[in-house]
Amino acid sequence: MRSSLRFFAMRLAGALSAVLGASIISFVVLRAVPSDPARLILGPHADADQVRALSRSLGLAQSLPEQYWHYISAFVQGDWGYSFTAGASVRSIILSRAGATVELALISFAWAFSAAVVLALLVTYRSRPLLDRIARGVAFAGLGLPQFWLGLLLLLVFSHTLGVFPGPEGRISPSINPPASVSGLYTIDTLLALQPATFFDALWHLALPSFCLSFFSFGFLFRLLRSSLLEMGREPFLLVVRGKGMSRWAAFSRHALPNSFLPTLTASALVFADLLGGSVLVETVFDWPGLGQFVVQSIQRLDYSVVQAFILLSAVAYVVVNLVIDGLYGILDPRIRLGRAQ
Amino acid sequence: MTASTRVEDARCERPDLGPVLAVDGLQTHFVTKRGTVEAVRGVGFALDPGERLAIVGESGSGKSALALSILGLIEPPGKVVAGTVRLAGQNIEHLPDRAMQRIRGRRIALIYQDAMQALDPVKTIGSQLGEALRLHGGALSRKAARRRAIELLREVEVPKAAQRVDSYPHEYSGGMRQRVVIAMALANEPDVLIADEPTTALDVTTQAQVLGLLDRLVAERRTAVILITHNLALVAEFCDTIAVMYAGRLVEQTSTERLFAAPQHPYAQALLAAMLRSDRLETGPLPSIPGSPPDLVALPTGCAFRARCHVGRSLADCAAIDPPLAAVREEGRVACHHPSEART
Ligand SMILES: Nc1ncnc2c1ncn2[C@@H]1O[C@H](COP(=O)(O)OP(=O)(O)O)[C@@H](O)[C@H]1O
Ligand SMILES: [Mg+2]
Repeated sequence: MRSSLRFFAMRLAGALSAVLGASIISFVVLRAVPSDPARLILGPHADADQVRALSRSLGLAQSLPEQYWHYISAFVQGDWGYSFTAGASVRSIILSRAGATVELALISFAWAFSAAVVLALLVTYRSRPLLDRIARGVAFAGLGLPQFWLGLLLLLVFSHTLGVFPGPEGRISPSINPPASVSGLYTIDTLLALQPATFFDALWHLALPSFCLSFFSFGFLFRLLRSSLLEMGREPFLLVVRGKGMSRWAAFSRHALPNSFLPTLTASALVFADLLGGSVLVETVFDWPGLGQFVVQSIQRLDYSVVQAFILLSAVAYVVVNLVIDGLYGILDPRIRLGRAQ
Repeated sequence: MTASTRVEDARCERPDLGPVLAVDGLQTHFVTKRGTVEAVRGVGFALDPGERLAIVGESGSGKSALALSILGLIEPPGKVVAGTVRLAGQNIEHLPDRAMQRIRGRRIALIYQDAMQALDPVKTIGSQLGEALRLHGGALSRKAARRRAIELLREVEVPKAAQRVDSYPHEYSGGMRQRVVIAMALANEPDVLIADEPTTALDVTTQAQVLGLLDRLVAERRTAVILITHNLALVAEFCDTIAVMYAGRLVEQTSTERLFAAPQHPYAQALLAAMLRSDRLETGPLPSIPGSPPDLVALPTGCAFRARCHVGRSLADCAAIDPPLAAVREEGRVACHHPSEART
């Protein structure tokens, strides 16, 4: 019991130091960019006194450690800074945009994960060479094709030419009012507000960008699961199970599948964490009002506080996802279950 | 038949009953990129109730492929292309998998090579034993299966069985794991047990213990056993009959005493000599004989052992005709054109 407590404490310390490291790096790197935010804000015609005054009020005149300390203590208290390009607090902007990104990420991940599982099962349980070749080709394309190119292609074919999916107009048709925000996810909020028409409109708008975004994740997960299942299929214990009189499918689903999920768990989590960060290019192509688009605009305008907050939050997200995965492994894999060793 | 009847009695009891397992002309091929691997090339033998047959051969000689062919567990790219497998007279070779599922584990059980990896690492020992019971146990409840699993663990001498039934394979040593695998195979009292290298992954002391245990359990149940091994020394005490396998075929089959006293096939002689050599060396490497077995994708014409044979290497008949497994003076069967000359 004590060893598991210490294990947990060490894990937590590791997680915290990772977050701390990310915050320091982002802070230092961004400060090292040679530019003057106060000058950027005020424009080329402002005089030097005005620029100096604004610099001071932004805290830019302080030493770097001082600035860092102010930044980090404010961050912990929920003050993530002020975006001078958007004219609003970073927190309110990120929160208002997170819904769009999270919704897209969830749908994309669901697509990618279920397609990867079903196809990997199909091509390994029933060896189907043709399907296997096609799926591997698609996975390879998913890993290699530039997403913005794929997005443009999808728009061209399905929106512009065929007209079955909406064009790059964001999360919902311009003529429809967005639902009252509860979760920030339109598909959920519309259902809560009992607006089925709006629900389907939101779903329709999610189709192309989520498909585009899931392509890469699918390729990644499919290849992992497929090879893991193939490897598992050769495990002696599967033959032993079959020798006991179990059907091939039962052996596969009760023994091979649980075992082959384990090595793909971490990868799945990282894929999901990556999707949560938002995709700049896909969001731009589909005019999706998510985090990725906003962050890139902020980088271009040297809006430090936005970029910093984003990096720090990403680090926190990765760390949290990893902790959750560690916990899941502890539950699912007896070989590393805590407190059970020996 | 009383429970205390010894194996030997069981075998003489009803000679009219016929063999419990009869394999004939079994051929198994694997289609690979390199070509067709002829892993089993027309193997035939009969196993009486309670009999113990050893199948001995170098690694790669097709022993596992033979075992899996009997059980109908050859998967693509492999295929049983010819032959029959009769279980108590009934040909089970062409049965659909659904019917084979009722035979596997209940009438023919398998102990598969590699004790360390024979158990699912993420399931408890108890659930894996229970699974074996429940697959054939009608409506056996989980609780009853668990109770029975504990009894089985006690029978294979796993200490603290009631607690260890909930452990996972990694918490067991190799020897203990193999005991579990044995318990699992014998759970439904099969007529035939195929034990493919049951002790290979274990150290010598553990090997002896596990084999002793297996000996006791199959004697109690009068289970017929096919013990597959590459280690001739292992089977001397355990088996009644030995079949020597080479390049997918049986090259000699005879009683254990006969094989040790007067092996007929040059390969059997070489195996025996290698075994005696390694005995003297105490901790020598595994017994090996000079040369290597032929490529099963491109077999030579004539006898497959010819290239390594000190008798037939340059003989015309050995180069032309693959000798069939034929009876030699009632003492057994040998696949060799010159069995007597081979004796040196
Ligand atoms: N799944 C498979 N695919 C292709 N070749 C195989 C497969 N399984 C076995 N073989 C081939 O069949 C031959 C016999 O193998 P095996 O029965 O495992 O030998 P043993 O058990 O005597 O060591 C070997 O040449 C091996 O390469
Ligand atoms: Mg083998």
